[in-house]
Amino acid sequence: MKIQKIVFTFLLFFPVWSFGQGDKLKEFIASTAEELAADDSDPEAASSYVEKLYDLAENPVKINSADETEISRLFFLSDFQVKILIDYVRTSGKIVSIYEIANIPGFDRETAQILLPLITLESRYTLSPDSSIWRSVSLTTFSFRDNNNDTSFLAGPWRILERYRLTKGSFSAGFVAEKDPGEKLISGNPPLPDFFSVNAAYNGRGIIRKVILGDYSARFGQGTNINTGISTGLSLSAPGYMAARNEVRPYTSTDENNFFRGAAAYLAYRNLEAMFFYSNKSIDASVSSVSGSGESSVNSFYRDGTHNTASLLKKKDTVSEIAGGVNMSYNFRNIMVGFTWSGDKFSLPVKTDVTDPENYFKFSGKTNSIYSVTYKGLFGKMLMYGEFSSSGYKKYGLIQGLSFRPSDRLTINYLYRNYSGGFISFHGKGTGSSTSAGNETELLGSFTLEAAKHLFVSGGCDLRDFPWLRYRNSAPSRSLRKELRIRYFPTEIVAADISYTYRLTMADSPGEYGIPEQENKIIRSIKSSGRISLSENLMLGTVIEYKIAENSVNRGTVLLQDIYYKFENLPLRVWFRYCLFRTDDWDTRIYTYENDLLNSFSIPALSGEGSRSYIMADVKTGDFGEFRIKYGITSLATNGKDSDYRNELKLQYRVRF
Amino acid sequence: MKQLSSLLKIPVSVLLISLSLAVTAGDPYRPSAGAGESGMGYACVMKNGFWTSFHNQALLPFNDSPSAGFSYENRFGISQLSTRSAAVIIPAGKTFLSGIYSRFGYADYKRDIAGVGCGLRLSERLYSGIQIDYLSEKTSGEYDYAGSVTFEAGLLVLFSENTRIGIHVFNPLPNSLRKKELPSCLRVGAGTSFNELLFAAVEAELSTGNSIILKTGFEYEAFSKIWIRGGFCTENTSFSFGAGFLTKFAKIDIGFLTHEQLGVTSEVSVVFKIK
Repeated sequence: MKIQKIVFTFLLFFPVWSFGQGDKLKEFIASTAEELAADDSDPEAASSYVEKLYDLAENPVKINSADETEISRLFFLSDFQVKILIDYVRTSGKIVSIYEIANIPGFDRETAQILLPLITLESRYTLSPDSSIWRSVSLTTFSFRDNNNDTSFLAGPWRILERYRLTKGSFSAGFVAEKDPGEKLISGNPPLPDFFSVNAAYNGRGIIRKVILGDYSARFGQGTNINTGISTGLSLSAPGYMAARNEVRPYTSTDENNFFRGAAAYLAYRNLEAMFFYSNKSIDASVSSVSGSGESSVNSFYRDGTHNTASLLKKKDTVSEIAGGVNMSYNFRNIMVGFTWSGDKFSLPVKTDVTDPENYFKFSGKTNSIYSVTYKGLFGKMLMYGEFSSSGYKKYGLIQGLSFRPSDRLTINYLYRNYSGGFISFHGKGTGSSTSAGNETELLGSFTLEAAKHLFVSGGCDLRDFPWLRYRNSAPSRSLRKELRIRYFPTEIVAADISYTYRLTMADSPGEYGIPEQENKIIRSIKSSGRISLSENLMLGTVIEYKIAENSVNRGTVLLQDIYYKFENLPLRVWFRYCLFRTDDWDTRIYTYENDLLNSFSIPALSGEGSRSYIMADVKTGDFGEFRIKYGITSLATNGKDSDYRNELKLQYRVRF
Repeated sequence: MKQLSSLLKIPVSVLLISLSLAVTAGDPYRPSAGAGESGMGYACVMKNGFWTSFHNQALLPFNDSPSAGFSYENRFGISQLSTRSAAVIIPAGKTFLSGIYSRFGYADYKRDIAGVGCGLRLSERLYSGIQIDYLSEKTSGEYDYAGSVTFEAGLLVLFSENTRIGIHVFNPLPNSLRKKELPSCLRVGAGTSFNELLFAAVEAELSTGNSIILKTGFEYEAFSKIWIRGGFCTENTSFSFGAGFLTKFAKIDIGFLTHEQLGVTSEVSVVFKIK
């Protein structure tokens, strides 16, 4: 889901970028968050994509290098497109204009527009002229919401976040410190912010490609074994589902659990690549002791990351986890094969209540090992990829995917996934899944088609079966998702999009004795959006979404209007949104994506009846600083009268020196 | 008997309010002025015309000469549900000023709206407008009187020579800032001239307390200085039609809207150009 939505949002906003790169680029990277997380609501994972886009914007890809590693940094391109781009540069010579890309087979104006702010026509890898000096970037954020002022909180309602990065040539180092609303600013022994992450990294071009000390994230193969970022292929309108290249990278997000802490290395020699990692960190969990014996065990892991009450603080860092692994891969001409091993060891045993049938396949014990084999290959116009992982006897995760491109204007994708009930991966997140849990099979088919000039159609169907019980399903269940999307870009300054989504899920019927029957929940939604750039300074956007829950006949509606304006004679930009919404219940809630602070985004779920508006301003303070402020208000009504409203204030300052 | 009469006024007033809510074109706080607009099902947030001061003040600059007009709407043949509106537009250099007044109801329940607004041409393709409104509601007996001040604003974008987009918001202030709650409303629409004779429009409207309303309408110059109009609105499955005549002194419009259960609303309006 994420990639395609980000990419599309880039496209929607591109017309304004095209008037001038630089400043506007940052704004639009932030705006990509608008398209994230409607279905899966996984903002932490989505944030890693936003960061990647920021990275690309600040270090554009050298497409004329014809280097696969370099071009693969454009993570939203399919392997087809990466290979086509490399072949084109090698056979036809350097690309002299970024608009030339639109005429390369396999690319279109849509993709070329997306690429424009993220690439450079430089071909050789060179250190930038000022690479010999230390450069720092500091990003400080304060935010406050009305409803974050709970009396049980341990400290004030402000969220405070500091990100700092120092670079010099091939070396970089940085830290992230965060205090969530209600958490103490400094606590523990040694006294540190509630979340504190630090790392140092070396990037090389020889055998040693990367070494990271401190906190880092990793992804190998299709991600069923190790993937601490977001999985690919959650969107039915995505151009492809194959995971991007293997990587280890410094950790800069604020998810307090999903990362490694220790050391990682990436080595490469000719066609052979190897990655090693070791991690030892404390994690949050609910721990109980058996009275008299003095033995402790883990009841459940706590993944939320907030520690703003006394009971939540007790869960912090109660268990230590040692993780390690290795990934080896070899690139033949058109085929890559790889092998991964990873292991986890906890300081306390995990004891699951197996008397509850839902927990029958859940993890118990202290250690877990996973072995994986993976491959991907390009066979003419067909791209195949797959991965098999096993965490024990009859505990496996299997992925097999196929992308077929019968013409430059049509791509067809299929994905099959089968995670057996007992398959466990604590740091895995395979293609097509937002979790690493077993008990799931999936068959997915989709297509993307350039139906006519400036007109793009995509769609797909995703069928999932859950053969064992799970949360809110006391019997085997299934889900079904269908989507059709049409995008139209008649001119450089206009973008229009309309999509229809059908979603079926199953849940226990309420109020029945014995094993509850499974009840279908069907949600249909239609969403239309349009954006127009009237000039370099002004852009307007409108979104209408209508959602209906079929079984309850409840409805949800949103109509919103965005205005973006950049002052000509002042270093000031302003975003304004006015939004009215009405939903009959929580099932018909509607997610609206908002521009937000740098490296951040906001996706409020609108439910009930009322209005949501915000205004955000960005001021450049010379060449080194940027100040951003956002004020939002959500006004909720009951029976036509206002009964509740929530204020939100965010401040951010970024400085480079 | 007098007491009984007073008591009866309460349910009758409630009924009238509900009927006024049920009529097409959204929120009852905003009067549905202009028979030409009525004939198009009020898909008019981007359409030129004299009654733009009631629908989108950004269109005021398209009224190039001083003009005045009045409009009378009768809902379902019930005189107590009638709306009388009047407006004046005065070009003042680059700014175009407007004044509006409208009254809905009868002696025991009435709702008045008065406002002053202005429209500006910001660039070749962009126009904006704003209006300050005073709304009052008067009910006989203990319910008495309530008044409040709010504002509305609009934008018009000339997307191309033939196509335009209108955006209008009424009462965008959160109700937490005021004592008496007022509904808010957002309208967004696009219209295009297929040729010199035919204009068609589509519009979406969402106001607090209502479901989204989709409207579409057309205006066709069938003969010289004679227009026919038609439209459809999803609220109450309302069809509309109407006609307009330009005479030497004034423009006269009539419009009719159907309601799936309550019948027909009719409207007539007359606009005079002062020079």
